[in-house]
Amino acid sequence: MTSSNMDGRKVLLVEDDFIIAMDVAASLEEDGASVIGPASTVPIALDLIGKTEDLDGAILDVNIRDSTSFEIADALQAQGVPFIFVTGYDTSVVPERYAGVSVCQKPFDMALCSSLLFK
Amino acid sequence: MLMQTQVNDDRDALLRRQKLLADFGDFSLQSEDLNEVLTEACRVIAEALNVSRGKVLEIEEDGKSLFMRVGVGWSEDIVGSTHIPMGENSSESFAIKAGRPVISRNIHEETRFDVPDFMKEEGVVALANVPIFLPGKRAYGLLQVDHTEPRDFDESDTEFLRTYAAILGPVVDRLFKIDALSAADEQFRLTVEAATDYAILMTDRDSRITDWLPGASAVFGWSAEEVLGRDISFLFTPEDRAAGVPEQEVKMALETGSARDVRDHLCKDGSRVFIEGVARVLHDTKGNHRGFIKIGQDASERRESDRSLRESEERYRLLTSLVPALLWQTDALGCGFELSPNWLDYTGQTPSEAQGTGWLDAIHPEDRKKTKFLFAEARLTGEPVVHQHRISSSDGAYRWFLIRQVPQRDDLGWIQRWFGAATDIHELHEMQARQEVMVAELQHRTRNLIGVVQSISNQTMARTGPTEAFRKQFNARLASLSRVQGLLSRADQEPITLRQIFDLELEAVGASGNPNVTLDGPTVTVRPILIQTLALAIHELATNARKHGALSANGGRLDVTWKLRGHDGECWICMDWQESGLVRDAPGKTDATDGFGRQLIERALPHTLGAQTSFDLGPDSLRCTIELPRDNPQKPKEVSI
Repeated sequence: MTSSNMDGRKVLLVEDDFIIAMDVAASLEEDGASVIGPASTVPIALDLIGKTEDLDGAILDVNIRDSTSFEIADALQAQGVPFIFVTGYDTSVVPERYAGVSVCQKPFDMALCSSLLFK
Repeated sequence: MLMQTQVNDDRDALLRRQKLLADFGDFSLQSEDLNEVLTEACRVIAEALNVSRGKVLEIEEDGKSLFMRVGVGWSEDIVGSTHIPMGENSSESFAIKAGRPVISRNIHEETRFDVPDFMKEEGVVALANVPIFLPGKRAYGLLQVDHTEPRDFDESDTEFLRTYAAILGPVVDRLFKIDALSAADEQFRLTVEAATDYAILMTDRDSRITDWLPGASAVFGWSAEEVLGRDISFLFTPEDRAAGVPEQEVKMALETGSARDVRDHLCKDGSRVFIEGVARVLHDTKGNHRGFIKIGQDASERRESDRSLRESEERYRLLTSLVPALLWQTDALGCGFELSPNWLDYTGQTPSEAQGTGWLDAIHPEDRKKTKFLFAEARLTGEPVVHQHRISSSDGAYRWFLIRQVPQRDDLGWIQRWFGAATDIHELHEMQARQEVMVAELQHRTRNLIGVVQSISNQTMARTGPTEAFRKQFNARLASLSRVQGLLSRADQEPITLRQIFDLELEAVGASGNPNVTLDGPTVTVRPILIQTLALAIHELATNARKHGALSANGGRLDVTWKLRGHDGECWICMDWQESGLVRDAPGKTDATDGFGRQLIERALPHTLGAQTSFDLGPDSLRCTIELPRDNPQKPKEVSI
C-alpha cells in the first residue's frame, strides 16, 4: 500500500453495504488506521461520534438505507472533523453547503480517498 | 286693273303658300319619320315656288361634306346616296355662312360661288339655298330648290323661303329628339329585359302590377299577361301576407323613399324563392306618387352558400371540441384571440378574461416571461413557435403543454392569421422525470455492484489465495450477483417474492425438483433493497449444502420454511433453513460457512438489513434462522469487524 498518511488515525466509516464495508475497513486497517464502525445508519454513526475521542476523519456513503448521511456530516463539521463523501450516484447529489468537501464515486479507490481525506 | 289683278294674284299666291305651310305644319306633327317629313318639305316648297326640284342636304359628321337625305324631282339613284363636298366656294357653304337664303338666277352666270358639275349635268339653271338651323343656331343643312330654266325669285319668294327655313329647324330638332328618346327607350328596354337575374316590376299607387319585365318572369315563373293588373301581394308567402308585410313595405317606402324586401317569395309552381330586393317609390313629372318599382334578385344560392359556410364553421367548432389540444387563432398582430371551447373549459377562463394578454395569466409564472418573449419574437420574424410551458387548469393544478403556433400567409406572403395548438404532454414530462430517476438509480446500482464485486473478490482472495478455489468460489458468487440483477431489473413490473429467491438459488446448485427438499411459506414480497444481500446469503447456504450438506452426494434433507411475524410493532420475515440427516465426511472439517458465507449471514445481514440471525451446526444437522424487518430495516444490529 501507499506510504500511509492514515497511520494511527481514527477513521469513522459509514457504509450500509457490509460487503463493501468489510473491504474498505480491511484496507484502512492495512494502512494503519483504526476503523470506527462501520456504521450503517445515522443513529449508529452519531452514537459512535459521541463515544469516540479524538476522531481524525470520516468516510461517508451519501445514501445509507433509505436516508442520507448529511446529518452525520453536519455533526462532523460542528466538531471540525474532516470527512469525504462517497456515492454511487452522480456527485451532484451532494448539496452546495458542502462545497469544500471532496466527493468520490464508487467503487472505492482507497488511495484516492485517503489522499483527499488528509490533504 | 292690271294693278288690281296683280294684287289679287299676289294675295292668292300668299294664301296658297300660307295654306301649304299650315298643311306642312300639320303633317310634321303627325309624323315621327324625319325622311318622310323632309320629303314632304321638299314637295311643298317645290309646289309653292313652282319649281321642278327640291332636296335637303344634311351636313355630315365630319363637317366637310353634305349628304342628300331626300329630294323630289331628282332621279332615285341620286337621293339618299349622294355626298357633296362642302368646298369653301360652294353655294351651300356660302348660304350657311350667310345665314339666310341665297338665290342664283342663272348658275352659269354666278360669280359668288361654284356649282357642282352634277347639278349642271342635271340641267340646273336657277337655284335657291335655304340654310336650316337647329335651336341654338346650330347648322343642320340646307333646303335647296332649283329650276332648269333661268328664274327670278322675287322678294316674296325670298321671304317665304326664310319663313320656311325658320319652321324647318324646330321640326327637324323635334324629330331628332324623338329619335334620341326612342333610342334611349330601346336601350333601357334591352337592358332591363336582358337582366333576367333581376326581377323588375312596377305597380301603380294601389300596388297593382303595371309592368312585368322578363326578369320577373324568369324568377317567378308567371308571364306578364298572367299578372298585369293583379295586386302584388300574391308574390308574398301566406305567413308574410298574414303578418301584413306587403302593407308595411308600402308604408316604409312612402315614408323613406324605399323599403328593403329580403324574404321568401312565392313562384308560380308553388315553390319559394329567396329574394333580396328593394321597393322604390315612383313619381310622375310633377312629383306626385304614381306607383312603385320593385327590383329584386334571386339570392337562394347565396343564402345556400351562407348556410354552407355556417355549417362548415359549425363542423370546425365541433372538430376543435373533439381534439384534445387547446386551440386558438389570432390576427397577424397576435390580437383578437379566438380560443377553442376546450381552452376555456380547461383554464376556467371566460372569453373576455383570455383576451389581450389575459391568456398569459393561465401560464405558470415561471414560464410566462419566456412565453411572452417567444410570441412577440414570432410576430416579428413570422417564424412558427415551438415551446413548452405549464398551463393552469381551472382547479389550479399546472400541467405541461407542447405549444405550436404557425402563421397563415396570403398570396403575397403576408401573414393573415396565426393558428396555435397546445397539446397536453404532462404525462410525457412525468415519464421523462421518472426516466431520469431510473437512470440515476441504475447508475447507482451499477457502481455499487462493482463495489460489491470488488469486495467479494478481495475477501475471497484473502481466504483462498490465488488458487483454483478462488476462481470457482468467485465465479459462483458473481453468478449469484448476476441472477439477483436479473430479478431486480424486473422488480418494477413484478414484485419479487421470497420463494423466487430460494427457487433461483437452489436451482443454481441443481436442487430443483429434488424430493428431499421442501419449501413452505406464504407469499412474501421482498423489497428490492433487501434482495441483493439476502440472495447472496442464501447462495452461500445453498452452495454449502451442495458441497457438504443435504444437497451433497452423502444425502440428507433440506426443509425451508418462512412466515411473517409481528415484532416491536413491525412486520418481520422469519426464515428457517434446516438441514437434517447429514453424514459428515470428517467431523470438524472446515466448511465454507466458516468463512465468507458465515460472515455474510452473521454480520452482513444484521449490518445491512437490520436482521437477526442464528447459525447452528449439529453433528448431523445444520440450522440457520434469518429474521428481518419486511418494511423498513431501520434497526440494524451494531456489529464490529
